Amino acid sequence: MSTWSDLKNNHRLKNIYDTRINILRLIREFFWSLNFVETDTPIAIKNPGQEPYLNPVPVIFYDPVGKAENFYLHTSPELAMKKLLAAGYEKIFQIVKCFRNYESFGGNHNTEFTMIEWYRSPGKYQDIMDDTENLFKFVGEKLNKKTVRCNDKEINISGKWERQSMKEIWQKFINVNLDDYLDISSLKKLAEDKGYKVDKADAYEDIFFKIFLNEIEPHLGNETPIFVYDYPAQMTSLSRLCENDPRYAERFELYIGGLELANAFGELTDAKEQKDRLENDKKLRGELGKPTWPVDPDFIGALESGMAPAGGIALGVDRMVLLFTGAKDLNEVIFNSVSDQLSN
Amino acid sequence: MASTSEVKKGIVIRGPNDLFVVVEFQHVNPGKGAAFVRTRMKSLSTGKVVEVTYKTSESVDIVQVDFRTMQFLYKDGDNLAFMNMENYEQIEMNSDLVGDEAKYLKEGLDVVVGLYEGRPVNVQIPKKIKYKVVDAPPAVRGDSATGNVTKEITLDNGLRVQAPIFIKEGEEVLINTETGEYSARA
Repeated sequence: MSTWSDLKNNHRLKNIYDTRINILRLIREFFWSLNFVETDTPIAIKNPGQEPYLNPVPVIFYDPVGKAENFYLHTSPELAMKKLLAAGYEKIFQIVKCFRNYESFGGNHNTEFTMIEWYRSPGKYQDIMDDTENLFKFVGEKLNKKTVRCNDKEINISGKWERQSMKEIWQKFINVNLDDYLDISSLKKLAEDKGYKVDKADAYEDIFFKIFLNEIEPHLGNETPIFVYDYPAQMTSLSRLCENDPRYAERFELYIGGLELANAFGELTDAKEQKDRLENDKKLRGELGKPTWPVDPDFIGALESGMAPAGGIALGVDRMVLLFTGAKDLNEVIFNSVSDQLSN
Repeated sequence: MASTSEVKKGIVIRGPNDLFVVVEFQHVNPGKGAAFVRTRMKSLSTGKVVEVTYKTSESVDIVQVDFRTMQFLYKDGDNLAFMNMENYEQIEMNSDLVGDEAKYLKEGLDVVVGLYEGRPVNVQIPKKIKYKVVDAPPAVRGDSATGNVTKEITLDNGLRVQAPIFIKEGEEVLINTETGEYSARA
């Protein structure tokens, strides 16, 4: 919890909030010093992304005569920022509030949360890994911290960070060659042999994460931060396929102390393929019984106009603050979190 | 069988060979993906803690636990004694099952005890508990100048916490049992 009375009475929570404000300033300093431009895009959008498992918060705008227009609070500024890349911006960043419905009020979640997204065009996802590592080291240096805390673990951020492919970590932690489990039937058999319940409706991704979350994720980034890169191609709809092995896609996630901090892509810039994949996701949303809206034609139009190869990332700022302050949960790093407001 | 949406702290799940009480749970959505529930559960037979992650659409075998409001009476060695205020029956449970939170118990405190087949399996304590301050060293001139804005105080059940320097002996304070910290004057 972090309310005005907590900040007034509890020295530790006040320190956490002070550090949060400081980190926000340092992130801006870091990106401006690298000649990135801080962009500004709408939070309420007509046609949000199509991620099947994300739930944008619906809002209604009324015009002066009371005509209703349905909008949604964005789950990330991704589509709008890519439109700015199409407009000719090359290095952009944005610190912005995002909203995801049907997530916990506490723990590692808050319906409203703060995200930093940045893009490089031209740029590769390896450049984005470098940016991420350098950002944490910059903030750590300014805060005089060589380590961060999570789940009672102390993680050294000042040395060299690990980079391993998803295939390498499956081999390392569960002795399985992921190449042999890239289709749903073989992966399903592996999961059942390991004793997991697999439902007929489970998608490849669901079965993948049953194994990954139980047997791999808790071990990730416990000594140093780790980038896990190149995900099975069917698990990502906005990233491009790896040039040397199209069974995998250019996506990476950052884990520190078992906590997922960021998700990044080598961005898919092929308009036709992007439209097909988004239409597929939209169909899946419908099948899951979720509200649907059109694939944003303006986004597809932006890609059609031509975009240089780009890399981009979304990183959770609240989780970053949690690591640097050793706070117990997100409610301690967010002033008047959803849970605080509900219990006051 | 029940849905994972019913999983919360204190419920009891039937695993392959054992019963487990959920001590912590957390929703995870790996990389914009489907929703999962990560649980930390304590075995009721061995006390060992295991971590299991379920997909939210999976079903889990939740066993019926009766929750009763009881009053904490006293600690006797490793055992904690509670009284069911409805029928004045007294029960005892091993303090291992309560874990670290046992330190917040004080005589007369109302808690919620979970009973499985009459056997206590867990205790839920209030988020904030009121205590009387029995010892508070006086603030020393210059404390705040040197950055000492808190001091250690002792509460009526023996618990020690950091509190602002203006707190005096004999006052009542609220302690947040989620963080173990001073919350406000009561």
